[in-house]
Amino acid sequence: MGRSETRTRLRTLLAGLLAVLLTLLTGGCSAWSGRVTDVGAIGGTRVEGGTATMALPPAAGPNWIFPIGAPGYLASYNGALQNLLYPPLYQPVRKGGTLTMDNPRNLAEPPRYGDGGTTVTVTLKKGYTWSDGTPVTTGDVKFWFDLIKDNKKEWGGYSPGLLPDNVRRFETVDDRTFRLRLDRAYNPAWFTANQLGQNVVPLPRHAWNPRNESPRKTFARLLGHAKRLSAFATDPLWKTVSGPWKIERWSTSGQVSLVPNRRYTGPDKPHLDRVVFKPFTTADSEFNVLRSGGVDYGYIPPSVMAQAGRFKERGYRVDPWEGWAITYIVLNLNHPTTGPMLRQTYLRQALQYLIDQRSIARVVWHGTAAPTRGPIPAGLLARDPYPYDPARARRLLAAHGWRERGGVLRCVRPGTGPDACGKGIRDGQRLKLSLLSQSGSTETSNQMQEIKSSYDRAGIALDIRQQPLNTVLGTTVPCKRTEPLCSAWELGFFGTAGSWYFQPAPSGEQLFATGAPSNMGNWSDPRADELIKATEYSGDPAAMRRYGEYVARQVPVLWTPNPAYQVSVIRNDLRGIDQNPTLTLAPQDWYFVKADKKAGRG
Amino acid sequence: MTAAGSVSAAPATPGPGRRALAVFTRDKPALAGAVVLVALMAFCFLGPLIRPTDQVHTDLGRANLPPGSPGHPLGTTDLGYDMLGRLMTGGQTSLEVGLAAGLLATFIGTVYGAVAGYFGGWLDAAMMRITDAALAIPALFLLVVVATIVTPSKPVLTLIIASVAWLSPARLIRGEALALRSRDYVHAMRLMGGGGTRAVFRHIVPNAIGTVIVNATFQIADAILYVAYLSFLGLSIPPPAADWGSMLSTGITYTQVGYWWLIFPPGIAIVLVVAAFTFLGDGLRDAFDVRLQRTRRNRR
Repeated sequence: MGRSETRTRLRTLLAGLLAVLLTLLTGGCSAWSGRVTDVGAIGGTRVEGGTATMALPPAAGPNWIFPIGAPGYLASYNGALQNLLYPPLYQPVRKGGTLTMDNPRNLAEPPRYGDGGTTVTVTLKKGYTWSDGTPVTTGDVKFWFDLIKDNKKEWGGYSPGLLPDNVRRFETVDDRTFRLRLDRAYNPAWFTANQLGQNVVPLPRHAWNPRNESPRKTFARLLGHAKRLSAFATDPLWKTVSGPWKIERWSTSGQVSLVPNRRYTGPDKPHLDRVVFKPFTTADSEFNVLRSGGVDYGYIPPSVMAQAGRFKERGYRVDPWEGWAITYIVLNLNHPTTGPMLRQTYLRQALQYLIDQRSIARVVWHGTAAPTRGPIPAGLLARDPYPYDPARARRLLAAHGWRERGGVLRCVRPGTGPDACGKGIRDGQRLKLSLLSQSGSTETSNQMQEIKSSYDRAGIALDIRQQPLNTVLGTTVPCKRTEPLCSAWELGFFGTAGSWYFQPAPSGEQLFATGAPSNMGNWSDPRADELIKATEYSGDPAAMRRYGEYVARQVPVLWTPNPAYQVSVIRNDLRGIDQNPTLTLAPQDWYFVKADKKAGRG
Repeated sequence: MTAAGSVSAAPATPGPGRRALAVFTRDKPALAGAVVLVALMAFCFLGPLIRPTDQVHTDLGRANLPPGSPGHPLGTTDLGYDMLGRLMTGGQTSLEVGLAAGLLATFIGTVYGAVAGYFGGWLDAAMMRITDAALAIPALFLLVVVATIVTPSKPVLTLIIASVAWLSPARLIRGEALALRSRDYVHAMRLMGGGGTRAVFRHIVPNAIGTVIVNATFQIADAILYVAYLSFLGLSIPPPAADWGSMLSTGITYTQVGYWWLIFPPGIAIVLVVAAFTFLGDGLRDAFDVRLQRTRRNRR
């Protein structure tokens, strides 16, 4: 080990230090070149034309164009782009704090339910045509239905018992009207939102199946085309569209450029000449491009919210994009050791009382998250049943026989009485939990540290293990008590960008019903099952609220602040953007404004 | 009658230890390194006793206070921890893991290299091919993979880092052992019936101790950097424990907001401790170098 090696080592160290300093200088103090002509957040004169560039989420390159999504290709950005080329019959739209399916851009009139809710009749609106001039007919809807019916295992959106299983017969009434005969009566609002909405998409039968091949053969052929990413812009198959946009370019790296479909016959014709969706490998690279003015509609990490003023000074508006979602820590009720504790409702309530959602949302998430109140979006629930109240949590635990010894609560009254710890909890058992949380996010890490700190003050020991998201998702799966997998985790968190995104109707059949595929914590409550069924089958508009309030009180998971899908930064002169909570896009509504008589950009 | 003759007393020759100390004390960068290390150790391990702070419970009401705020000379972190206190406790983790991993790697590498070099032949060839193969795999890649599989703790981090860091000292000591095994005292030991184990642990390793000690300092510096790398990648000891790497990683999140006090203190601390160990190692190398000792003595 000689002098030269020492010099090399020191040079490397100093170079590292220099790199850090340069990063700080260029990152924190450099001039921003992305200043735009600020016309203010309101006002200005609308101009037609121009190109708007939107940043896609990090490592999210659109890679699927076929409206029947294959498993593994169901990402939100794929669906959002497909909707612009092949719009579904019904799309949700935000009205007030909730979503409705009464959207002016729907391709069909509102569905009519008959025979006690066992049939649904749909009539397509007049005048819709494909981009080659052929009218959109019920035959195009039947084409879609036959494809998913005969290939349901290959359809990523398939859930047993739901579409197409719950449709006994598809009847064509005429060119614009069809009727579905269902296997039982359903809640019309639920069926329209979660079955017809976003799922049913007319497909160009005349262009995609001119030889009238069988659905299986056709599907296999279309799937072959859908896997050729490099040919999306050139393949004649994808040239026939019904939506307001058509493809101009689609690079294999995921950059997509759309131009208006000039033969679009819907009410929402595009104002822009072009819209570009730009992919990024990391959030940092996107942030740098945003600051240099390379995108008109981008996003910033929550930690930069303190700098929102700097963006506003430069002619941008900062607008968190809130998803139709909830966020929570999953509790493994089947864990052999901690399961008996977590199965006690009073204990789950105490754990919830100790989570200061408001402070976490304000400080840790920099105001870009909102408290989750229960199993449905917060706006649909009147109040938070368990606001932060550490004193109440301590009283609740003390009333059930937990005493602090050596800094940790221990059960001193085992048994099943009203003042005892509860079934399966041993005498002297410590209230010690382990949380498996996703890594890679400062906000998530800080949130967990805050919860751990709060629990520690109450005498609850919480160990935090951080692992990559895929590891957490692969570990926190539904399990039986006897399975070794059930011992691998106690509490789990995978909600850095929201734990669960709902379909338009936020029912719980996939989330909190007994045995549901996404019921990771193995929660089972007959009363909750009844209420969930009511949201699916009964026509009572209060069913959803009743389900939400009941499950919120039961605390099957620990509710934590629901972060925004992204904190958007948008040029002030780009208008018409409605950040839909279901993460769909409508760039046909976007337009530029100018402050004076000068021509708009473009 | 006079004495048949008198011999004037020759000046006493200092022993090798004193000669090494003399060379070391004349090496100003090495001395500075030693002083900085002692100061950092005192800061990290004695500091919390003099100025105790709560580094377990968060205080969201005091998050991100700038330096100079009442009671917080270096400000607070994004969770309201006192930054000065966190720098001390974070330093404990970095230094403890760095020291333990560096020493463990040196120990394993020394024994492995000495055995391979002394016994030679097919055993040496096999052991060194294993080392070459392991060296071909990028250390950081291995560290990240292992740290992803297991939950890092101080002992686990120490083992993970030592498991990839022992390769370099193994090759170095093997070279020393190849030279030492042909020395007369080793032959003599063999003629008197001494075995391989005695040769390795009583003759080869003690006579290569200078190289071992110098290498240990560099291993410690590298281990501290490895801890920082892993923490920077989010593979640190779970919160609320901290180390300088994880503090730096958190601070970088706030680069755009200008919270410089979350970045510079841990960054400077890492640079200081690694530079100090490097200078110290360099000084020790010179101190143990017999030729350098002679040259400097002759110059006197």
